[in-house]
Amino acid sequence: MNTKTKALNRKNNELDRRLNKENNDAMTDMVCYLRVANISDYNQELVRHDLLQMVLSAQERGENIEAVIGGDYRSFCDEVIAALPPKSFKERVLDFIDTLLLCTSILGAIGIVFSKETIEFIRSAVTGQPLNFRISISIGSLLIYFIILTASFLIVRFICKNSFRKEKEQNQRKGRNSLIGGSVGGGVMAVFLLTWRLGGQTIFTVNILAAGLLVLGLYLCHILLQKYLAA
Amino acid sequence: MIPSQMLKGTLTGCILKIISGKETYGYEISQQLQKYGFSNISEGTIYPLLLRLEKNGFIKAEYRESALGPKRKYFTMTPAGEKELEAFVVNWKELEHAINRLFRMEGKRYEHEDQSFESKKQ
Repeated sequence: MNTKTKALNRKNNELDRRLNKENNDAMTDMVCYLRVANISDYNQELVRHDLLQMVLSAQERGENIEAVIGGDYRSFCDEVIAALPPKSFKERVLDFIDTLLLCTSILGAIGIVFSKETIEFIRSAVTGQPLNFRISISIGSLLIYFIILTASFLIVRFICKNSFRKEKEQNQRKGRNSLIGGSVGGGVMAVFLLTWRLGGQTIFTVNILAAGLLVLGLYLCHILLQKYLAA
Repeated sequence: MIPSQMLKGTLTGCILKIISGKETYGYEISQQLQKYGFSNISEGTIYPLLLRLEKNGFIKAEYRESALGPKRKYFTMTPAGEKELEAFVVNWKELEHAINRLFRMEGKRYEHEDQSFESKKQ
């Protein structure tokens, strides 16, 4: 998210607090749906700003969000999305790379901090024993990295795309969702078992300082890319 | 109520016409449209159309403080918008002429419907 978008996002968060419960619930559903649409972050915030001003004005007049938008929030959002320019191929690729850089730097930092070699390294440093600067990267840790990335992408997409689903419809689909949930759960369990079996197998080792610098470098690339996107 | 499919092509021209009269905002446009007989036109109905008009450079938008509460987005016409409105009027007259001719030729069949429309309006 670039600086201009962040400023608008902060302003919108402040306006959000002035909504009553009913309007806030409906706005959350709409914003959630817009978040996964093929429109830029800035346009998402711009539309959110317009909608917030419209709904707050209606609130002042004693009307609710339904009087402003009409009953079909999903159709309304689809029309709004169709009226805005879609992200270009370049924008989508850069967005994907940016997300990948941020996620990899965060997961990498967590991986380094919680690895048994780091804990061993700190213990040795404290007790004055010889230091082992190498940490091992296993098949398990790489598999978990890909699982976390894929699962988070799919979960966010599923939740946002289904934000307008009514309670009744949700109950009807409960059975099917349980089946899907069970399959996903089973799949994840199978991967974790596989990870546990292969987890110990080290693919390569890397110097702990080099790994730290790499993680920092990836994070800096993310910041630079954000600045480029903002320009 | 006018079906939304029928409204789709004409509402943009009507919005441009209202904005061409004076600088205005979304809620006021929807109120104006309702006053002229476009029933059930909410601010949300016209919002995507206003976004499209703004994107195409036919109108300009600016947020300004309002005395009665949250800020309002005011719309003004651009020279490109004026040309677009002129083109809409030409196209509309052509369509209106064609439809009127067709219905006049088939006049007898629709006379009773005209009467029922008038009585409904009253």
